[in-house]
Parts: sequence; structure tokens; C-alpha cells
Amino acid sequence: MNIEIIAQMVVSGALMGLVYALIAYGFQLTYATSKSINFGQGELVMLSAFFSLTLLNIGVPYWLMVPGGLLFGAALGLLVERAGVRLALQQKSEGWILLTIILGLLGFSSAENIWGRDDRPFPTPISSDALHVFGINITPLEISVAIGVFAIMGLVELFKRNTLLGKAFEAVSADRDAAELMGISATRTIMLSYGLSGMVAAMAGILISPITTVGPTMASALILKAFAVAVVAGLDSGFGVVLVGIVLGALESLTSFYIGSGWREAPGLVLLILALAVRPNGVFGKATIRKV
Amino acid sequence: MLKRFLLLRGAEIIVLMALASVPLMVNNTYALGLLTLLAIYGILLIGLDVTVGYLGQVNLAQAAFLGLGAYAAGLSATMLGYGMMASLSISMLVGLVLGGLLAFPALRLDGPQFALATLSFSALSTTVLNEWEGLTSGAQGLSLSRPTWLGLSMDAQGFYWLCLLMLALVWMLMRNLLASQWGRAFEALRDSPIATDAMGVGTYRHKVAGFALGSSLGALAGGLYAFNFQYLQPQSFTYDLMVILLLGVVLGGRKSLWGAFFGACLIVLLPNLLSNKLLFELISAAGLLLAVVSGVRAWKSKSTQHFQILAPIVAMGILVVGGFMVENTENWRKAIFALMLFSVVVGLPDGVMGYIAKLLTRILRVPPADIAAAVSLDTVLPKRESDGQTLLELNDLQRYFGGVKAVDGISLKVRAGQVHGLIGPNGSGKSTAVNVISGLYAPSGGEIRLQGKRLPSGSLLKVARVGVARTFQNLQLFGELSALDNVMVALKGVYRTPLPLLLLGLARAEEQRAQGEALALLELVGLKAQARMAAKDLTYGSQRFLEIARALARKPALLILDEPAAGLAHPDVQVLITLIKTIHERGITIILIEHHMDVVSELCDVVTVLDGGKVIAEGVPDEVKRDAKVIKAYLGVVQDDAPSDAVDRKEAPAC
Repeated sequence: MNIEIIAQMVVSGALMGLVYALIAYGFQLTYATSKSINFGQGELVMLSAFFSLTLLNIGVPYWLMVPGGLLFGAALGLLVERAGVRLALQQKSEGWILLTIILGLLGFSSAENIWGRDDRPFPTPISSDALHVFGINITPLEISVAIGVFAIMGLVELFKRNTLLGKAFEAVSADRDAAELMGISATRTIMLSYGLSGMVAAMAGILISPITTVGPTMASALILKAFAVAVVAGLDSGFGVVLVGIVLGALESLTSFYIGSGWREAPGLVLLILALAVRPNGVFGKATIRKV
Repeated sequence: MLKRFLLLRGAEIIVLMALASVPLMVNNTYALGLLTLLAIYGILLIGLDVTVGYLGQVNLAQAAFLGLGAYAAGLSATMLGYGMMASLSISMLVGLVLGGLLAFPALRLDGPQFALATLSFSALSTTVLNEWEGLTSGAQGLSLSRPTWLGLSMDAQGFYWLCLLMLALVWMLMRNLLASQWGRAFEALRDSPIATDAMGVGTYRHKVAGFALGSSLGALAGGLYAFNFQYLQPQSFTYDLMVILLLGVVLGGRKSLWGAFFGACLIVLLPNLLSNKLLFELISAAGLLLAVVSGVRAWKSKSTQHFQILAPIVAMGILVVGGFMVENTENWRKAIFALMLFSVVVGLPDGVMGYIAKLLTRILRVPPADIAAAVSLDTVLPKRESDGQTLLELNDLQRYFGGVKAVDGISLKVRAGQVHGLIGPNGSGKSTAVNVISGLYAPSGGEIRLQGKRLPSGSLLKVARVGVARTFQNLQLFGELSALDNVMVALKGVYRTPLPLLLLGLARAEEQRAQGEALALLELVGLKAQARMAAKDLTYGSQRFLEIARALARKPALLILDEPAAGLAHPDVQVLITLIKTIHERGITIILIEHHMDVVSELCDVVTVLDGGKVIAEGVPDEVKRDAKVIKAYLGVVQDDAPSDAVDRKEAPAC
């Protein structure tokens, strides 16, 4: 085997893996406050990408489009919380799983009809001419994905640690009842977490679109891998998702090279089922004690 | 009773006859195709309803099982030359085995993890069907021809009757199964997995069995699907189909065979409904009307939240308005499903058939099913002779949570036939001790012996099965089940009919006996009149008594009551005391955790006092109350003139 090819595969796979990690990070944000996740998160990624593309097409400059797209994602996140999650959480049921799937379906169908079923290119000012580093081809575009992922995750973490709202977020995550007794509204904090999660999803869409193109199905494979990353790392594992994302990305690009591109989804799916069988709380997750 | 029987069975037979006679009256290939598909989807949805309705889990793998079953049957017929029945059996076997295997990882999971496991399984099976080209011919698709049945070649009409026959069989067997202890166990584990284990029923085995059963029905439907279309492609069994299937079950109505049937009708007719614009507008208008009417009624009764009323109206409103604005409704197929599904999930949780069934029951005055007469209490709980020997023995029992020593070396003996009190201030380790004994937690050290034998550690189920029953301080009832069913789930020593006979409906005598025994226990705790009420609708006090009746259904040697008087009103406390005395007279040994000292004084033969995870005193109640260490534990300081009944005044709330 040529070691350079393997290294090339690992590096470009790992960069893709960072995007899975970013979406998985969005799952963690809502799971922390409400023990729920948005099963239609992939559609949020896709809709935000389409919206951002539309902004570019009507002449908004790239660097203004980014905050616009993020705001749109946050708004969608809030909508999902209001329409799909809040009622089920109040009833202490798991109805949110079904409802978020349904909302995702609605989003998918709307995108198909509004923007069409074809994949479209997503223009970007960042160059995609390969640079050669130690015999590996890497593009500035790919580097921008890595920077973007770490930038938004860093910003959200700073927000959580250094602002009053962010501290409320941490308080509700740690102990919802105690936080409510201290006068923090859990409902609003959950809204906040869905808003942030939507924003993170939008960022993922903006980052990945120049590489994968934009289309209604752009996120359907992406989201399965994000689920896998979130579950394998653990839904409360913090930065564990980054490591697992990188490993999974590399693994799947090697799989598709050596076994066949049709099998590229398989490692994530197998890992997810294995992780649930062996370590249901994830590799980096915390074990919970059953209480009565 | 007769009226109920005639109405229920009559409806089934009439619909079956009507469906069977259609091909004799109309000669239309298209209609026949739809009807065949209806029978196939009926079987598929009945299977899906086991997990989604009874087990209460979001299952996203049923479309995959349809596909796997279809390929299994198709390949058996083409490559192995099997006949119709052999191929279908292979399908079911594949569904059963793969469903069981998938359910293993789902062992301790519920909520998002379970749904994710099934979602990954679906995606994985699509990948395998697509990529394993040597076997499945991949994306090109697999052509096959319909095999013979008993040497007869089947035309479209014959095949339709076969599918209908299968549906009728599945319907009958599932009706018997779901009305039995199995169906109750499925629902029980949905409401409280912990109590299902603690009542000796077994959460895990029922979950796996339920999921495997539902999957094998999905695969059976897949086999029929293969022989119906005689051409298979992996793309037919993806996520999109799964969402449509969920639509069918949820819209039709969960936990209902008729709901599954209605859902199947809907799925089969949907493409036609969507392609005809007028029909679509009529349906969406009817949906809006339904949402508004049921919304107004709900608003009047003030029982539901505004969101539950408004959201379906808004969703159906969008559907109606959208229907006028959009030219081609087929393109918006998924959005239409989504809006309909959303309205039903939010506004009509029982589904359309659930709604209709309630309405019809009221209009036709269908009486509820009879309950067998209560048997005498002596049959259910025969008096035990107690020899006063040690029944339960704890030796240096420990349980740590990280650095917290919740139970730190407790040793005590509980003698047969006694009421043994366990008291102590909040956080003294009483509940943890009981949780370790009953198997919720494994001990960190020490041992527990019941009648000299080591008690299984760390398994609620195993401990329950050797004769220890318990109640829970924070109630763990099966909320959706009736009071009677709550007791029947836990009943020990009644259910003996083997599964095949039970499926054929030959367990009726046993079911009658179970009802009689359960009713006797309800009578004992004073809930006979509320037997049919759902446990979640009972008053708080009644729920506490129901927990005791349910624990007694285990016919236990040792009964652990974890703060049975917590939150009870004073008159109820008196009733509770009388009840515990009656149970005591039957020779059942009782461990009583309680904060009400009057209750403890009146009932207990011996009291053990815990503090900081250790035993600080033991003896008859009056002695213990005067013990200086006990008073110190409760009040913090020892005063010379401390009143002797200081403990009486302490009525701490449940911790």
C-alpha cells in the first residue's frame, strides 16, 4: 500500500468528520438541557444552506451571508422547539421523536418544491486549489471547514461559560429542577439550546456546501453519520465528538477506497449499533444511575 | 356481554366477508391489486403497532424488515426453488432472528437511542441489499415468479385470497396474544420498566420478544409483497416508506387492530387521493372540520392545552389553503403526509379509529367486557404458618455511590411472620438498603440471604422470582393500564398455558381465574369499584393502595413496603394500618419503611433504626423510641429533659 494515499484518505476523511462532529455537537446542546434531539436536524442543515445560497444569489456579500444564514438556522431551531418538542416534553412523553421527524419531512418537501430537486453549486471566495503539505493535497477550502467548525464551537462554549444566559444553560443542564427553583426558566433555556443548535446546523451547512453542492438530499447521509458520532461519543461527552468525528471520517474514507464507495455509510452505522450494544452512554459519556 | 361479543366479532366477520367477496362481484385488476396491497399492509402495520403502540417505542426499521422479508422470500423461491409456504416461513424466520438481534442492543435503551438504532439498521440493510450484488442483483432489481402453493399455481385472485387469509390469521392470533398476559406485559414495560421487572414479569425478554414478533410480521408482509409484485428493488424500502408506515399506524390509531387496518386502507388509497385534486380538497376540508370540531369540544372541556387545539387547526388550514395554491399536489406528497401526521400526533393521540371507537361505544352503548367474580381471599393468599425462623438476613451489607456510603455495613435479621420496621432520618440509607435487597442496585459488599440461600444480587427480576415483592415510594404504576390489569400483570402462578394454545384463544379459563384473583386483591385494598379505571386516573391515595395490591399479587414470602403512608390523608392512614394488619395475619413477612411513628409503633414487632448508612438501634418500638442515639439522630442534640416521645413529633416528608 502506498502510505501517501492512505495519509491523503485519512486527512480528507478527517476534515469531513469535523462536520459530522459539528452537527453532533448541535445534538449535544439540546440533549444537555432537555434530553431530546431534533431528528430533522439534517433538514435544518439543508434548508439553511439553501437560504444562504439564495442570499448570495440576490447579491448579499459572502461575509454578510454567513450571519444571515446562522440567524435563519437559529430561527428554524426555535420553530422546531415550539412546534415539535415543547408539548411532548411537558407531557413527559417521547412524542418529540416522531414530531421532529415529521417537521423534517415538511422541511424536505418544501425545499424540493421551492428550490428544486437538483444539486446546485455553492460559490465561495475561498480557493480550492490544492496545496501540497508533506505530499498530501489539501485545499484552503478544506482548511476553512476546520477553522469554521472550531470557531463556532469555541464561540458557543465561550458564551456558555462567560455570560449569564450561558450559565443558566449550564445550570439547567446540570439539574433542571434545582435551576427552576433558583428562578431560571427551563422552557426558555431549552428554547435557547434549540436556537443555538439550529445555528450550529446552519454553520455546518454553509461550511460543507461548497464541497458537496446544495440539494434537498445533501444532508440525509450526513445526518446518519452525525447521529453515529453523537451516540458513539456519548450524547453528553462534550468535545469527545470531535475525536470520534475525525476517526469516523477517516475510517469511512478508507472504507470507500478499499471496499467500495457503496459501503461508505457502513462503518458509521455499524459503529452506532455496536456502541449502543456495548456502551449505551458512549465512549466518553457518563453512566447514569437508575432511580426510583 | 352477548351484545358486546356480537358487535365486535360481527364487525370483523362482516368486513372479512365483504373483502373476500369483492373479486366475485367486480372483475377489475386494478381494484384487486389495491385490495391485495391492503391485506399486505394490514399485516405489516399490525406488526409495527406492536412496537409503536404496545411497547411505545419509535421504530424506524419496519420498512427495512419488509424489504428483508421480501428478499428472503424472493431468493428462497428463485434460488432454492421453495414453494409459497416454505418461502414465507423463511421470511418470518429472517424477521424473527434479525429483529431479535437488533433488539439485543436495544436492551437497556429507550427514547432517542432506540430510534437511532432502528434508523441505522434500516440504512444498513438498504446498503447491504444494494451492494451485495451477487445475491440481490443490487440496484438493477430482482425479478421472480410466484411459486405454487400446495401444487396449485396462483393467479391474482387466488393470491389475493391467500393474502386475506393471512391477514385474518394474523389478526386472530394477535388479538388473542394482545388480550393475554403478553399484551399486558408489553404495555406495562412501556409505562414502568422498573416495576415490570420488580413484579417478576421481565422487561427485557418481553421487549425483545415483542420487537422480534413485530419484525417477523413485517417480514411476512415482505414475503407476500415480493410474490405480489414479482420484482424487487432496494430503493422501495427506504426511509420514505417508513414515514408512510408510521403515518398509517399513528393516523389509524395505536394499540388497535382496527387502527392498523384503517391505516393500511389509507396508505393504499393515498396515491389516488393525492392525484385527484377535488378529492384531495374534500379530504383536507374534512380534516380541517375535524380539527375545528374536536378543538372546540376540547376548548369547552378545558382539559387540553391551547397548543394542542390550535396546532392541528393551523396545520389543516395550511393544507386547505395550500391545496388551492399548488398546482400539482403529488409533488407536495411528503409535505401533505407531514401536515396530516402532525395534526394527528398533536391533536388526536388515539388516532382516527380510537376516536371512532369511543364514539361508537357511546352511541351503541356497548357494555364493557365482564369481569369474572372475585374468588375468596384464601385462594389467592392462603394463610402461611410462620415458624419465627430467620427469613431474611443481611450481613455487613454495603452500597457506595462514588464516595458516598449510602449503606455502610448493615447487618440485620428479619424473622418470618413479623412486621419489621426500618426507620431513620432522611438520607439514612433506608431506601438504598431496600433497593439493594430488591435487586435494583447490586451491593458493593456483604451478602443477603433469604431462607438461608443467597439472594440474587443486582436483578429486580430474579429477586422478584424468589418471592420478594415491593412497593415504591415514588409510585411506579402502569398508568395506562386499568387497576385490574395492574394487578393481573403481577399475578403469580396463574399463567401456565403454552404460547401456541394461547395464540389459538385457549387460555380463557386461565384469564378468568386471573381476573377473579386480581379482583379479590382489589377488594382487599378497597378498590374493587375502581377495577376498570386507568391507574393514572385514580386518586393519589388509591394509587398507593393499588401498589400494595399489585405487590400482593406476587404472593410473596417477603413484602417490602417503602413508605406506604407518605402523603396519605389521616383516614387513609387508618385504613392502611388495618390493611397491613390483615396482610400480617396471612403470615406474610413485611419490611416496613415509614416516617409516621404512630404507624410504626402500632404495626411493628421489631424496629431497626439507621443513620448514616449504619444500624444505630434495634428493638421493640417503645424501647427504640427512648434510645438516646435514636433521639440524637433525629433531633441532633441530646437534652437531659428530652421528651420520651420526641420521635413521634417528627413527621418528615418523603425524601
